[in-house]
Amino acid sequence: MTRKRILAGAVGAALAVAATGCSAGDDGGPVELTFWHGYTEADGDVLQGIVDDFNAAHDDVEIKTELKTWDSIDDTLLTALSAGEGPGIVAMPAERLPVYASRGAFAELDDFYAGAESNTADLNPGAVAMVEVEGAKYGVPTGFVPLAVYYNQALFDAAGVTAFPQTWDEWTATAKRLTVDEDGDGTPEQYGAVLPDHATVANGLWPSLFYANGGAVVDGDTAVIDSPENAATLEYWSRAIAGDRISPTGVDGIGADELFSGGKAAMTVGGPWMASIATENGIDYGIAALPAGPAAQAASAIGVSMAVTVDTSREEQEAAEEFFSFFLNEENSVAWSLGSGWPPLRTDIPADAVAENPVVASLTEIAGTGRPLLPGVVNSTDVLSAVDELTQQAVAGGDIDALLAAAQTEIQAALDE
Amino acid sequence: MHAPPTARRYRPPAPLGGRRRATGSPAGRNARAWAFLAPALIIIGLFVVWPMVSALRLSFMDASGFGREEFIGLENYLTVFTDPDVRDAVLNTLWYTVLFTPTAVIAALALALLLNSPRMPFRSFFRTALFVPFVVSFAVAAFAWSYLIDPQVGLLNHWLRGMGIQLGNVLEDPDLAMPAVVLVAVWKLFGFYFVIFLAGLQDIPASLYEAARMDGAGPWARLRSVTLPMLSNTMAFVLVFAMIAALQAFDQIYVMTGGGPYGHTQTLVMEIYESGFRKLDIGFASALSYVLLIATLLLSLVQFLFFGRKEKDLSS
Repeated sequence: MTRKRILAGAVGAALAVAATGCSAGDDGGPVELTFWHGYTEADGDVLQGIVDDFNAAHDDVEIKTELKTWDSIDDTLLTALSAGEGPGIVAMPAERLPVYASRGAFAELDDFYAGAESNTADLNPGAVAMVEVEGAKYGVPTGFVPLAVYYNQALFDAAGVTAFPQTWDEWTATAKRLTVDEDGDGTPEQYGAVLPDHATVANGLWPSLFYANGGAVVDGDTAVIDSPENAATLEYWSRAIAGDRISPTGVDGIGADELFSGGKAAMTVGGPWMASIATENGIDYGIAALPAGPAAQAASAIGVSMAVTVDTSREEQEAAEEFFSFFLNEENSVAWSLGSGWPPLRTDIPADAVAENPVVASLTEIAGTGRPLLPGVVNSTDVLSAVDELTQQAVAGGDIDALLAAAQTEIQAALDE
Repeated sequence: MHAPPTARRYRPPAPLGGRRRATGSPAGRNARAWAFLAPALIIIGLFVVWPMVSALRLSFMDASGFGREEFIGLENYLTVFTDPDVRDAVLNTLWYTVLFTPTAVIAALALALLLNSPRMPFRSFFRTALFVPFVVSFAVAAFAWSYLIDPQVGLLNHWLRGMGIQLGNVLEDPDLAMPAVVLVAVWKLFGFYFVIFLAGLQDIPASLYEAARMDGAGPWARLRSVTLPMLSNTMAFVLVFAMIAALQAFDQIYVMTGGGPYGHTQTLVMEIYESGFRKLDIGFASALSYVLLIATLLLSLVQFLFFGRKEKDLSS
C-alpha cells in the first residue's frame, strides 16, 4: 500500500504540474474535451483507439485523453475543479463518484439515458447502480467486474486438488490442504489463500463474504452491518484465517497481490489485472467464481465510472454524451472488453463474442454474480474505513458482537451526514 | 601666551558604519520602502494571508471548493467539537506529541552536549551527519523507513530477527504504528533542534563554567546550574517548534500508514486532509484547521510565558 501511495503521490504531483485545463471551442473550432482516466496498461491503448476513432468520425469534437493514476485523479480533481481547470470527462473508481456528484461536480445524465441512441438500455444494472445518487444518474460505467478467485495451478496440482471448491466449507478445506508449514514453527511457508483483513481489493472482499451468508453492509440509507449473519461470517472466517492459518493476517490488498505473485499463496481474491500479474510472474493461473456461501453466491464488484464535469458548456456536454454512446456501441463494447480484460458492460453481449480472450470469457460468465459496492453512498470513505476496522479487529481476535455494534453506529453516522 | 583652551563643541561620535542622510521627500522614502518590501509582501499575501482569509470564509460555509456554497454559520465549528472522529484525532495527536516532543528534544540536547565538547573526535563530521536527515524530504524519508521496517524485506527486521526479536508488521500493529511514525519524525527533525541547541551552548560564556568549577561544581551540577538555565530561551524555542511539528504531523503518516491501522495514527492534519480531499467537505476542513491553529497558538503562548517567567527568575 505504501509503495503504491508514494508512486501515486509522485505521479500526481508531476501531473498536477503538467495538467492543463480544457477549453470550450467557442472560437468556431471543434469542441475540445479533456478526458482524464487511469487506464495505464494495455487497456489504455484500447481506450485511446476508441477515442481516436471517435475523433476521426467527428469533425466538430476533439477529445484529448490525459493519463493519470486512479489515485492522482482523486488527488487532483478537487483542486482542478475549484480552479475551473477541471477535465471535461473524468473516469474514477465507481465508489468515489457519489461524493463528487453529491457536491455538484458532475452533470446529470438522466435525459441521456432516456434516449435509445445512448446504447445504455442493456447496461449491467449493477454497473448503472454505481452511478446513481439520490435517484439521478451522474455517469456512465466503464468497468464492472465481480471479484473472482485467482488460483495457482501448479500449487493445486502439487497438493492433488483437482476440482475448484464450490462452497465455503470446501474452500476452507482446500485452503487448509494447500497451507504448508514445513518447519512447524506455526508460520506457514505457503498459505492456502491470502485473505486481506483491510484495504482489500476494491474494498470488496468482506462485503462479498457478507453477501454470501445473507448479510450486507448498508441497505439504502440504513446501516445493516450488525446482523447475526455478519457475525457468523466474521466468526467463520476469523477462525479459518487466524485459527487454521489458511491465510496470513494483517495483509492488505496490495500485500495479497504480492504474496500471490510471489507464489506464497495458492489463492487470492482479485480483479482482472491479476491475470497479467500472474503471467508476468510466470504463474500458471486459473480463474473461478467466489465459492458460494450458505445463502448465496455473490461477489462485490469492482466498478469504474466516467462522468461529465459541470465546468463544461452545453456543447461540450453534448459532445461528451455523444462519446459515451459511441463508447457503448456494440463494436466498441466488445473491443473495450477484450482490450481491458473486463467483461462487457452490456448484458446483450454474450460470452461467445469475447471468447477469443479466455479471461474475459470466464469473467463474463460470472458477471451476473457481481453486486455494486455501496451504490449511492456519498460518504463511502467512512463506511469503508468502519468495515476495515471491523474486519481487521475481528480477525485479530476482537469481540465480534461489540465490533459489529460499533461499526453499525459508525456506518449509520456516515450515512446520516 | 597660550590661548585659553577653548571648549570644543562636543560632537557625539558617529554611529558605527556612518550615517547616511535620507534623501528625498518623506513620501518618496515611503514609496521606496514599500517597493523593497513588495516582493515579500506579495508572496506572503498571496500564499499565506489570502489562503487564510479564504479558509476563514470557507469555515462558515458548506462548501467543497467548487460548485455551490451555502452559509451555515457556526455549524462546522459545532461539528468540530462534537464529532467522534475529531475527538479520536485529537487524542492521537496528543499521543503523538507526547511521544515525539520529549524524545526529539532530549535526543537533540544530549547529542548537542556531546558534540559541544572539544574533546569529542570528528566533531564536524558528526555535526554534519546528524543534520543530514533534516535536509531529506519527509516523504522520501518515510518511504525509506517503510522499507527498512517492512516485515518481509526490511533490513531492520532482518537484523532484529538475528537477535531473536520478532517485530512483525509494525505499521499494521495498532500499538506499534504510532511509535513507528514518531520514530521517523524524530529521526528526520531532531537534527534541526540539535543545531539550535549547539548554537545556544556556544553562546554560554566560558567564564560561567570557570566560576562554577571554582565553586566546586561537578559536571552534573554545572549542567543543572549553568547549562540548562542559560539554555532556557533556546529550550523554549525548540520546545515550541517541536510541539508545532508534532501538532502538524502528516507527511510520514500519509505515506506509511494512511492513518491506519484502523485509525490509530489518524492525526488532526490527516483528519483535515481526509475531510477536505476525500469527503470534499472543505468547509469543515477549514473550520478544523482554524481550531488547530488557535490551539497551537495558545499552547505556544503558554510555553513562552512559562519559560519567560523562568528567565526572569534567573535574572532576579
